[in-house]
Amino acid sequence: MKNYKAIFAFLLLLLPFMYACQQGTDVVESGTYQGTVDEVEPAKTEIYVKTADNKRLELYFNENTTLTRNGETVQFDQLQKGQKVEVEVNKVGQRLEPVAVRILE
Amino acid sequence: MIDQNFWRTEIWHPLSVHFPVAILLLATIVKVVAILLREQQQGFWQRAGAYLLYIGFLAAWVSVYTGSLAEGIVARKLCDPTILKDHEIAAFNLAYIFTGATALELALRFELIKFKTGLLQLIVVLLMLAGSGFLVYVGHTGATVVYQQAGGVNIPAADCAGF
Repeated sequence: MKNYKAIFAFLLLLLPFMYACQQGTDVVESGTYQGTVDEVEPAKTEIYVKTADNKRLELYFNENTTLTRNGETVQFDQLQKGQKVEVEVNKVGQRLEPVAVRILE
Repeated sequence: MIDQNFWRTEIWHPLSVHFPVAILLLATIVKVVAILLREQQQGFWQRAGAYLLYIGFLAAWVSVYTGSLAEGIVARKLCDPTILKDHEIAAFNLAYIFTGATALELALRFELIKFKTGLLQLIVVLLMLAGSGFLVYVGHTGATVVYQQAGGVNIPAADCAGF
């Protein structure tokens, strides 16, 4: 019983550190990059893209962002975690504005 | 009279965020005072610190929620949204740390753990001190977003039209 409680206490103490895997984001120069969709936030029309050189780009879609697959415009809900994408970004200050997002698969 | 346009989604975050800042910092100070006192004098301070911690941890998660709502709007206009990302990560860290402290405090209060209570009380205080460190950093980055980048701020027209 004492061991059980000790484990319980230990798990409680671990709780704060479970968030340690939270990742930051990177800023890159304007250009076109290929990578994988790391996370999709539909409510914010936001995606995170992991590039080949392990940069994590945070991209908020705006009214000018185009999203295409095989050259055809598709809706935001077509984006899924793990998809290969090509993104064209414009760096404004330290903000990355997605000009075009192309789903490659 | 407050204009209806005042109640934008991003406004809920500054309206809610100052409660956990004040309450959790006060909770930490009260808990530190409690462990510095003799055992027979600790009762009031331990209880006061615990109640403040319970309220503060709930207020912290409310602020994390309102912050998440605000982020989707504010980040699109910032010149350096990486500061906002740092703010978000640190805010989650502090919320998890104070949640851990609250869970441990509750376990001690309801006697779910009956061994090494003195040491565990000390660990609660150490967690609260660590959380307070994050709290200061979160406050700093939040202020940077607002005062340096006008995050969530309505900027009036040059001729003050509408006022």
